[in-house]
Amino acid sequence: MNIDAAINLPPIGNTPAWLAGVRQEAIERFRQTGFPTPRLEAWKFTNLSALAGTSFREASPAEVPELTRADIEPYRLTPECHLVVFVNGRFRADLSDLDRIPDGSRVVDLSQADEADLRLLTAVPTVEGDARARVLADLNTARMTGGAVVHLGRGAVLDPVQLLFVGRPEGEPMAFHLRNLIQAEAGSSATVLESYVSLGKGPYWTNAVTRVVVAPNAVLRHYKLQAEGIEAFHIAAISARLEQEASYAMFAASLGSRLARHEVDVDLAGERAEAKLSGAMLGRDAQHLDTTVRVEHSMPGGTSSQEFKSVVDDRAHTVFQGRIHVAPDAQKTDAQQVNRSLLLSPQANADAKPELIILADDVKCSHGATIGDLDEDAMFYLRARGLDVPEARAILIDAFVAELIEHIGGDEPRAYFRRAVDRWLAGGGRS
Amino acid sequence: MLKIQDLHVHIEGKEILRGLDLELPDGEVHAIMGPNGSGKSTLAYTLAGREGYDVTQGRILFDDLDLTEMEPEERAREGVFLAFQYPVEIPGVVNANFLKSSVNALRKHRGEKELDAMEFLKLARQKLKLLKMNEELLSRPINVGFSGGEKKRNEIFQMGMLEPRLAVLDETDSGLDIDALKIVADGVNTLRGPGRSILLITHYQRLLDYIVPDKVHVMVAGRIVRSGGKELALELEARGYADVVKAAAAA
Ligand SMILES: Nc1ncnc2c1ncn2[C@@H]1O[C@H](COP(=O)(O)OP(=O)(O)OP(=O)(O)O)[C@@H](O)[C@H]1O
Ligand SMILES: [Mg+2]
Repeated sequence: MNIDAAINLPPIGNTPAWLAGVRQEAIERFRQTGFPTPRLEAWKFTNLSALAGTSFREASPAEVPELTRADIEPYRLTPECHLVVFVNGRFRADLSDLDRIPDGSRVVDLSQADEADLRLLTAVPTVEGDARARVLADLNTARMTGGAVVHLGRGAVLDPVQLLFVGRPEGEPMAFHLRNLIQAEAGSSATVLESYVSLGKGPYWTNAVTRVVVAPNAVLRHYKLQAEGIEAFHIAAISARLEQEASYAMFAASLGSRLARHEVDVDLAGERAEAKLSGAMLGRDAQHLDTTVRVEHSMPGGTSSQEFKSVVDDRAHTVFQGRIHVAPDAQKTDAQQVNRSLLLSPQANADAKPELIILADDVKCSHGATIGDLDEDAMFYLRARGLDVPEARAILIDAFVAELIEHIGGDEPRAYFRRAVDRWLAGGGRS
Repeated sequence: MLKIQDLHVHIEGKEILRGLDLELPDGEVHAIMGPNGSGKSTLAYTLAGREGYDVTQGRILFDDLDLTEMEPEERAREGVFLAFQYPVEIPGVVNANFLKSSVNALRKHRGEKELDAMEFLKLARQKLKLLKMNEELLSRPINVGFSGGEKKRNEIFQMGMLEPRLAVLDETDSGLDIDALKIVADGVNTLRGPGRSILLITHYQRLLDYIVPDKVHVMVAGRIVRSGGKELALELEARGYADVVKAAAAA
């Protein structure tokens, strides 16, 4: 990454003066710190030197890859869903389907974001964290070229909306700095699916930042499929603020990229908010997949669960870091965390770092982690019934992941992830 | 059908089967009895091909195949079936899906047409009915939350679906109530006939009232030390293993 080249900030709409200032400060922080290194606690298990060592260009607005609706059809959630498509970091109206968004709600590109949207988008995350560990989000603030602004009006129901991000590598490796906002106003309900996929081979970098605000009594089901190309880098940070009695479910399947980091920060900032976070990392070859979750219980009566699994084959490496922080006032908190890893090869590796910081006394918290290989008794049982080793393995791996997929609300998203996992399983070593 | 000659099996370097000979002709049912730890389950697992059960000497001939050279799934496809003493629980794997794959793996091997979902369901329903089992079992994960008796019946159900040529039933009667025992025995008896041989491992003479064996063998310390007719089971029931153990030690 040529840091100096990043100084000229690409405009977003008619960038207001305050935003120009925010972006200048952001790029300054990035310049001073550079790419995070494993010396930072938050990046202890994930080394970005390959990313830092690659020089990326940014696509000019004039570069519009030729793609048709038929090309993206296979990645679409359903033919009927509201769809907003980005190719190489830029909005593609010609491929999107946004004409049926009900009145009072809005799904637009970042370039159409209004002042209030931009304020929310650039607000500093409320979940505590080392600023030096967040400089890629700063880089994003400075370089953002597109992204979805999803605004759900009071009591609105929008089901489902898909944000489809397509990487179409061409020429020198490109970086895409995507910035999304999902804002669910009081009493609204929606399913939002983010899909990251690649058409074509070659290295590129997706650097996505998604801000989520769930207002009182709103319900947001947020799903993410990370199925980038095998030479891609994927760094994504979601930060969500949940207000009173808001309900937020987030499931992410991470199975693409040579190196991926899926970061989720959730602040239960209102009383009795609920967060259900889950995900599956499926790694093979030399993939490195990282999931880093921080849940902050700021207010009383909140419920949170983290259920993350990884399946690791070949020389792949997965990382799960999960923090639960319960503030002194957040009494009657119920916070759970489970992390399970299945190692399929002797060179496969899974790191797990749970972190519980509990400052209130009347709380229910638990966490558990297991790392193991396929159950030998189960393997033998299946083989003794005539299934060969690849079939028996596939069945057991599938069962391990299926449990999480079963939790996905809605038949269509569930089937969508089902297909993605099946494709991964059928990849038998290579994808 | 099955000919075991001078079979020696080691587990983790320890010799468990120590020169076992056994012949099970086509169409016959043989029972194996013997004290705890004598090696009955070891024989069952060895027949099914479990890893870690090292055959260091001897042969297992199944018709003209030497089983010792074959993978567990190859044996299953040739028609070897083991009803486990402790059926394995597999969370997340639905019974019906697994069993359909299993039935079709065997059919494919035999060059038969694979069953589609409807055909499979029809066959499964028919077999479940014979065993007076609830259809709901099909949609549950394999053995998860099943009672001891249900697990055993599930094994017999699978056996009914797979129609093996050689069935090894390892203490399938343990944990069954009287009614279930009769049902399971009926299930086994319907399979009985030419082209099929059955090895019953049991501790209880009672099972043999329902499934009358052609022969009874007594295993002690990894060998068959005595063989006889059905009356041998009655004798053991009355007198215990002390005599046979003593006789075996003297031999
Ligand atoms: N994995 C193992 N490692 C070491 N020893 C083993 C192992 N499995 C079995 N054995 C030993 O082999 C011997 C025979 O065990 P096996 O289970 O075959 O007996 P069994 O005749 O089936 O007994 P039971 O009637 O109690 O079922 C026992 O002494 C047992 O401890
Ligand atoms: Mg036994």
